[in-house]
Amino acid sequence: MSLVLRNIHKHYGSVRANDGVDLEIAPGELHGLLGENGAGKSTLMKVVSGFIAADSGSIEFDGAPLGVASPRVALEHGIGMLHQDPLVFRPFSVLDNFLLGSAGGVLVDRKGGRSSLAEMAARYGFDFDPDADARSLTVGERQQLEITRLLWRGARVLILDEPTTGISEPQRVKLFAVLRQLAAERLIVIFVSHKLEEVEALCHRVTVMSRGRVVGRRELPTPRHDLVRLMFGDITLGGARPEVTLGDPALSLRGVAARTRGAPLHADLTVRRGEVLGLAGLEGSGQRTFLRLCAGLDPVGSGTIVIGGHDLAGKPYRRFLDAGVHYIPAGRLEEGLIAGLSVAEHFELVGPNRSFMVDRGAADTLAAERIAEFSIKGEAATTAEALSGGNQQRLLMAMAPDHPVLLLMEHPTRGLDLGSAQWVWDRMLRSRAGGTAIVFASSDLEELQRYSDRIAVFYEGRIIAVIPASTATSSSLGLLIGGVVS
Amino acid sequence: MKRLRSAPLALAAALGAIVVILFAAGAPPLEAMRVIFEGAFGTTDRLGATLMAWTPLVLAAAGLLITFQAGLWNIGVEGQIAMGAIGAAWMARSVEGPSLVVVPLTLIGGAVFGAAWALIPAWLRTRFRVHEIFSGVALSFVAAAIAVYLIIGPWSRTGVASTSGTDIFDPRAWLPTIGSWRASPVGIGAAVAAVAAVLVLLRGSRFGLRIRAVGRNAESAHLLGIPTQRYLVAAFAMCGALAGIAGTVQATGFHHKLVPSISGGYGFLGVLVVLLAGFRALWIAPIALFFAAIQVGSTQLSLRLGIDSSLAGVIQGALVLVVLIVGGFQVYSAARGPVVTGEGEA
Amino acid sequence: MGRQGRWLKRFALLAAVSLVVAACGDDDGEAPEDFKFGMILVGPQNDQGWSQAHYEAGLYVVEQLGLPADAMIVLDKVNTADRPETSIESVVDEMVAGGAQMIFATSDDMKDGIEAAAAQHPDIPMIWSSGDSAWADGKGYRADLTNLGNIMGRMEYAKMIAGCAAALTSQTGKLAYLGPLINDETRRLVNSAFLGARYCWENYREQDPSTLGFEVKWIGFWFNIPGFTLDPTQVTNEFLASGADVVISGIDTTEAIVRVGQAFAADEAVWAIPYDFRGACAAAPAACLGVPYFNWGPSYVDAMQSVIDDEFEATWLWLGPDWDDINNPDTSAVGWVSGEGLSAEASASLDDFIAGLGSGDIELYRGPLNWQDGSVFLTDGEEATDFQIWYAEQLLEGIVGASAAE
Ligand SMILES: Nc1ncnc2c1ncn2[C@@H]1O[C@H](COP(=O)(O)OP(=O)(O)OP(=O)(O)O)[C@@H](O)[C@H]1O
Ligand SMILES: [Mg+2]
Repeated sequence: MSLVLRNIHKHYGSVRANDGVDLEIAPGELHGLLGENGAGKSTLMKVVSGFIAADSGSIEFDGAPLGVASPRVALEHGIGMLHQDPLVFRPFSVLDNFLLGSAGGVLVDRKGGRSSLAEMAARYGFDFDPDADARSLTVGERQQLEITRLLWRGARVLILDEPTTGISEPQRVKLFAVLRQLAAERLIVIFVSHKLEEVEALCHRVTVMSRGRVVGRRELPTPRHDLVRLMFGDITLGGARPEVTLGDPALSLRGVAARTRGAPLHADLTVRRGEVLGLAGLEGSGQRTFLRLCAGLDPVGSGTIVIGGHDLAGKPYRRFLDAGVHYIPAGRLEEGLIAGLSVAEHFELVGPNRSFMVDRGAADTLAAERIAEFSIKGEAATTAEALSGGNQQRLLMAMAPDHPVLLLMEHPTRGLDLGSAQWVWDRMLRSRAGGTAIVFASSDLEELQRYSDRIAVFYEGRIIAVIPASTATSSSLGLLIGGVVS
Repeated sequence: MKRLRSAPLALAAALGAIVVILFAAGAPPLEAMRVIFEGAFGTTDRLGATLMAWTPLVLAAAGLLITFQAGLWNIGVEGQIAMGAIGAAWMARSVEGPSLVVVPLTLIGGAVFGAAWALIPAWLRTRFRVHEIFSGVALSFVAAAIAVYLIIGPWSRTGVASTSGTDIFDPRAWLPTIGSWRASPVGIGAAVAAVAAVLVLLRGSRFGLRIRAVGRNAESAHLLGIPTQRYLVAAFAMCGALAGIAGTVQATGFHHKLVPSISGGYGFLGVLVVLLAGFRALWIAPIALFFAAIQVGSTQLSLRLGIDSSLAGVIQGALVLVVLIVGGFQVYSAARGPVVTGEGEA
Repeated sequence: MGRQGRWLKRFALLAAVSLVVAACGDDDGEAPEDFKFGMILVGPQNDQGWSQAHYEAGLYVVEQLGLPADAMIVLDKVNTADRPETSIESVVDEMVAGGAQMIFATSDDMKDGIEAAAAQHPDIPMIWSSGDSAWADGKGYRADLTNLGNIMGRMEYAKMIAGCAAALTSQTGKLAYLGPLINDETRRLVNSAFLGARYCWENYREQDPSTLGFEVKWIGFWFNIPGFTLDPTQVTNEFLASGADVVISGIDTTEAIVRVGQAFAADEAVWAIPYDFRGACAAAPAACLGVPYFNWGPSYVDAMQSVIDDEFEATWLWLGPDWDDINNPDTSAVGWVSGEGLSAEASASLDDFIAGLGSGDIELYRGPLNWQDGSVFLTDGEEATDFQIWYAEQLLEGIVGASAAE
């Protein structure tokens, strides 16, 4: 029942996303897949689960070769995958989504499906309302439903591509328990992640990829620095945060209330130049509304937003941009980059607009410079959606002005490998040294503590506490995030 | 790359469909195809007739390319053509003077009217979030109704209330022609210029780049500081202006009067042309030529082979279907793209 | 030219045809083997109406003159909605290129196109049916177009008969006229139907003429073009809903008889009178009172013969029925066939009426007659001239409906 990949190649133009990958996983094994952004992890997993066809190479499961590349065929062979991108659900009920693509004829056995869903959920300790609208589920619940569905459809290999981004802590604990249970049932679980502590906690063995190739395999446990070196060579992690002297207020909110419905946000806050303010809280507790208010993207109900000495509340977004505000959202392809446009075109869009015509030569030169400066793995002509997640983030950073007055970021390092995350923060701290005020939201407590001067904790749409990062501990933050104010 | 391949593929499929239909109708397919081809290109006069259909089609398609790139389904282009024709007719009826004065005025009148009519869906969309498909369909009806009203009302022939059209314009308002050729070099020139301009605009200009950014992801474009609404409105207006020129060509270059069905369905056909062209300006001219040739050449099926004229309609219907299927497939495969979501499997 | 002249001609023609047939298609007969003519139809050739009547006239010509089967080059649905890419001029070009030596443009709608085409092809004789471009006394005379003649039937008579049949049958005393577009010709025909109806209402039904309701609604074109005209079926529905029980159609197609036929089948006492084509009652025979129709064949044969004989002249012909037998396919330019819906009693009165028209005893275009706006059309005892009848300025007093575009 083992899964064997031999010499998998997948090239995109000149990019060798997979360049001769061999992998063998025994039944009952929890296998971790590590590697920097763009290493080719997702590509490899998509090949295994039939979403894309490899250029060459073979896949065997249970001694039988997998032929046609299609998710359906793969699942018939027992291979199911949970994708890195957030799961999109159709506007159907939970039950209907569960039944989607179920085997057998035109007629769907809804009654049978209902009891199967209940049975499977009970087995793994999940709790679903079969008649709820699936779109109302949280990311974590969607994930649980999809896992249940894949298992019900007979998956013997379960692939999870960065499953822990965007889910709550209890959901993560639950997920890990289920994965361990599955391994105990002799299933193969492949776990793709950038979070070393998760891999260490969960997996039996790991494979590390770099530039499309396998660069190492390890039995766990193994020392952390060993893994880091495999992935990035010699880098120093968690470099010291240089001290800067704070300047004038960059952002000052007085009695600001959002006008968006269901967002009872009220804020009185000042962020000074050179200061880093972290926004903590469960996903959807108001951090996003706060950032979008400060960016001038959401309408303000009342109050003043003073940036660079001017009250910009109610002013058009353009005024915020001109005042030196820059916002980098979390949904990189949804609301930051433009799928279908090349890297060079992105720079052209934000560049100073002089002539009516675009000078292609100059645009490519500029793009090449930026690509080199921001070490983006891609070319001037690469389209945004073809970049790996980490490189999309680098592109977004590269498009930001050099020294904004106020940099607003949502999950700046989500989905980034350690090296890239380090690099992102290096850039941000450099801006900060130049007088930029930074406000960022994150669900990573360690990141919040390490990089913030102060942390604002959000709970149910309100700021319930603003504390100096130096006094915050993981446990005190955890309590606050849960709404417990001492 | 994918798109480049699929345009010829669609054309081949369309030709295949025609052969099958002709065969089913008992017409000798090869002979019939020859007749269509000769009917469209056989003589200089026929080439003229084909170019006469090609001109408004290309103009409409060129305009639609802009709105499509801006992510808009400007179905209302039919109405914009009709409005352009009305504007041109107004100029032709009210201004007297030499061709050199009147003809440019009709072209300007057509462009302005077409653009103005296109601003209505633009306004509804940007102000009230009314989708342009709905407003476009409605506004096309309204434009046609206005044309009919003018034709049987204020602009009717004396003592006549017929939808067959207004009085013929003063020949000095007609698009100038050379010899017996019906297609006007001015119209053809306008069509060629439109394609070239749209090509340059979308491919090479900063404006076009921004239009494309807005069309592909308005949210991101907004974040990058592009005034998205302004670009949407601009795209509508440009398409409307080109459609208005198409209407002018129809009114002053072809019918020489205003008739109710002045748009000739070239707007809808233009949508198909753009879909088939895979949103590439360079493909518009040849694909439009193909459609115009089928349309003009198939008249010969009735004339020469005595084939029931409805067959030409069936052929065009089948073409539309084939285009939609191939085009739909194309859109589908483009939409699938490299981003795979969890639902892809089902 | 008198009736007699044509008779002689027709006789000679028949003789010639029989000679040709006898000679088994000998080449030097009267009808050249390679003679071709073009027939431009505004609607579908099988519309059971105006266009089909022309199409069948073309077949009749082919048969009568012994032309080869492919002598007629037809293109139907030549209008801007059905064939946006086609103009009359280009159709004529194509037909001439295809060998046509004569062209028939068979709709009033084709005026601009056929006049332009006639100017471009001065050597090709053409007929613009229903037009007035060759009428020296007419308003639209084009002396320069010596190759463009006009043929029209005196449909007024058949419309009078239709109006009479309607009045003889109506139980509600409300008649409806489904009008196409408004122009001289259509006003003329509405007026004629009204005059026939009023006469029979007064003289056979012995009712006060002022109690007869007669309403016309115009759809905007000769046939339904969705989006550009009113829907004739819808208009017919409105008529029936308003209490009219006979709908007289003035449009090219059969919507009125079809719709009324459905109501009749549902046991409603309603009838219809279609138009244009002899077989038009077939759509709903039981509800049909009869049909006034055109018989273009004989006049087209004459015209073509004159072309073959190289004697074509651009004349304006307005041809009446053959009163000896208004349904004689070889002699009568217009006709009337009664339908199953007409009662025996009404039929008898109608025959009497037809005889009266034929003998000249009944002359309906005689004063006093007023226009719809009350102004005088004909003073007491005054008879209308052809010019006055052809260029009907308005509808007549007593008709409800628009005389001109509002
Ligand atoms: N559809 C595509 N077209 C072109 N290049 C692609 C495409 N998909 C992936 N690539 C390239 O292949 C390489 C591997 O991408 P992949 O998504 O497998 O990386 P990854 O290891 O999953 O990275 P991340 O940790 O950022 O998710 C990247 O350089 C990426 O730009
Ligand atoms: Mg990945």
